[in-house]
Amino acid sequence: MTEKWTKTVSDVNDGILANLNNPHPMFYVAWVISGLCVLLGIGCWAYQTTVGMGAAGINSPVYWGVYITNFVFWVGIGHAGTLISAILFLFRAKWRNTVARGAEAMTIFAVITAGLFPLIHVGRLWLAPYWMAPLPNTNNLWVNFRSPLVWDIFAISTYLTVSLLFWYMGMVPDLASIRDRVKGFKRLIYGLLSFGWRGTAKQWHHYEAGYGFLAALATPLVLSVHSVVSWDFAMSLQPGWHTTIFPPYFVAGAILSGCSMVYTLLVPIRKMFRFEGFITEDHLESCLKLTLLTSSIVAYAYGIEFFIAWYSGNEQEWAIFRSRAIGPYSFYFWTMVFCNCIFPLIWWSKRMRRNIPISMFVAVLVNVGMWFERYNIVLSSLVEDFVPGSWGHYEPSLIEIGITIGSFGWFFFWFFIFCKFFPIVSMSEIKLIMPKPMSRAEQK
Amino acid sequence: MSESGVLAVYKYLDQVVDVMEKIKGRADFAGHEVFSPTSYHEIEHAGGFGSSPVKWFTLVGGMTGTISGFVLPLLCDYDWPMVVGGKTAGIYSLPAYVIIGFELTILLGAIATIAGMLVMGRIPNPKATIMDVRTTDDHFAIFVPGIDESSEQATLLRSGGASEIRTVGVNG
Repeated sequence: MTEKWTKTVSDVNDGILANLNNPHPMFYVAWVISGLCVLLGIGCWAYQTTVGMGAAGINSPVYWGVYITNFVFWVGIGHAGTLISAILFLFRAKWRNTVARGAEAMTIFAVITAGLFPLIHVGRLWLAPYWMAPLPNTNNLWVNFRSPLVWDIFAISTYLTVSLLFWYMGMVPDLASIRDRVKGFKRLIYGLLSFGWRGTAKQWHHYEAGYGFLAALATPLVLSVHSVVSWDFAMSLQPGWHTTIFPPYFVAGAILSGCSMVYTLLVPIRKMFRFEGFITEDHLESCLKLTLLTSSIVAYAYGIEFFIAWYSGNEQEWAIFRSRAIGPYSFYFWTMVFCNCIFPLIWWSKRMRRNIPISMFVAVLVNVGMWFERYNIVLSSLVEDFVPGSWGHYEPSLIEIGITIGSFGWFFFWFFIFCKFFPIVSMSEIKLIMPKPMSRAEQK
Repeated sequence: MSESGVLAVYKYLDQVVDVMEKIKGRADFAGHEVFSPTSYHEIEHAGGFGSSPVKWFTLVGGMTGTISGFVLPLLCDYDWPMVVGGKTAGIYSLPAYVIIGFELTILLGAIATIAGMLVMGRIPNPKATIMDVRTTDDHFAIFVPGIDESSEQATLLRSGGASEIRTVGVNG
């Protein structure tokens, strides 16, 4: 596919680094709003830590509520970033070069947000290191390495570290570009951040080799992380959770939510910083195609989950699934089905993929749907387990809702900081997919 | 200690690649450096650097991760055996440790890869001289140490289509 570029390599640095100067006033408004949400979240968390876990709505039998929903949701959001930056890099998909940096930043901040929720959920977070890290507690007891929760700690912390390294290493040449444009104190800061990168042919040679290896390491990692998260559920014997389809189902769902989040973030950024010449409509369309693909996989997973629940002849399993669709929490189930499987079908039409306002609206709906998917999974299996006598009810308390709003604020707060001070589009990579600066007409 | 040399700035990729082909391996261009705004494969081929040793960093890091990922839970289990499900002490749940081994392989492999990129690229380098700020934007450059602008080498650089030739000093 040959693409029409309205810009040349020489326009890249000037165009992309416009964000360092004067962003749109709306940018500051959005930043302040997200900051206020963070304050709300911190206030709620402080209240919960002071008065105890009774402030949250979780109680017998539902000990995993909105917090675990948020944890799974935010880890999932992160996945598209690594998929786009690592897997599409190995597949040499050119469109990823323009969106990879923003998507990776999304990964970092989403995983940091996710990492807060186990701490919020345990209540006495100052004791968390004993069940998280292999530190012996007062009884000289180590963590249980057979527990999926410990696997999760290893998976998530590895994921955060590797994503951070991958993202930062990719940014070093671009930080050097900023260093070479600014003066005084800023130059010193960006000079330190860029490690004194000079862009020599040898540096690029080792950089390319290393980048390839990082991509090759990150690829199995991204598939493993949400599989491990899904084992938090699947390793239990709870009906509705104890299924082998969970790992691929979770990974597909994660990539679906992540891709729609990438789209949700890129469209305003592209507008706000005037990146239309770099992030072209073709690139946005490719992102939607990926969303559509994962939406189909997720729809298939929903279907097969129901089929197996019926076909297995396991009464408890089938009862849970029936209750999901027609029981007291069926609203969440149908929200998830419509948002994740039905509405994305409009993207089969090229005209709809090219219609940015409508696609943006549907992408937000997919995010909502994916949140309710996790809520549905966590909730429906816990409220009604094997023993009808222990059945219960759950609804989130105001504190839980406040912390959830705070987590969205927290995510966007960091993302906005990134948008103001760092190159949002990978400049060195976008130069690679643009026409090369040649003195002669290109000969093949 | 400071020395100086000649920096030739080019606007076009094909020009710099042609010059690189001409000066490759020549003793009178020893220690020359090529600057590029991004990782054009043409430059990598013209440079003829061969396979990057970064792969050995990745391999060693990854293998260290695999081993430590199994050793860590085994040691914990040895120190305090968890006797569940009728198992006696001394029976270890290796399948569960595969996950720890896998994650640490990736973690240490990635950290070692970064270390490899830094070591092989000679960064961080606080003494690095920025020869020309345009090389991180849209220009290319070749720096040859220890020559002056009237030398025969500089003539070759100029004839390759350099838009600018000048003498620059470098730190240590």
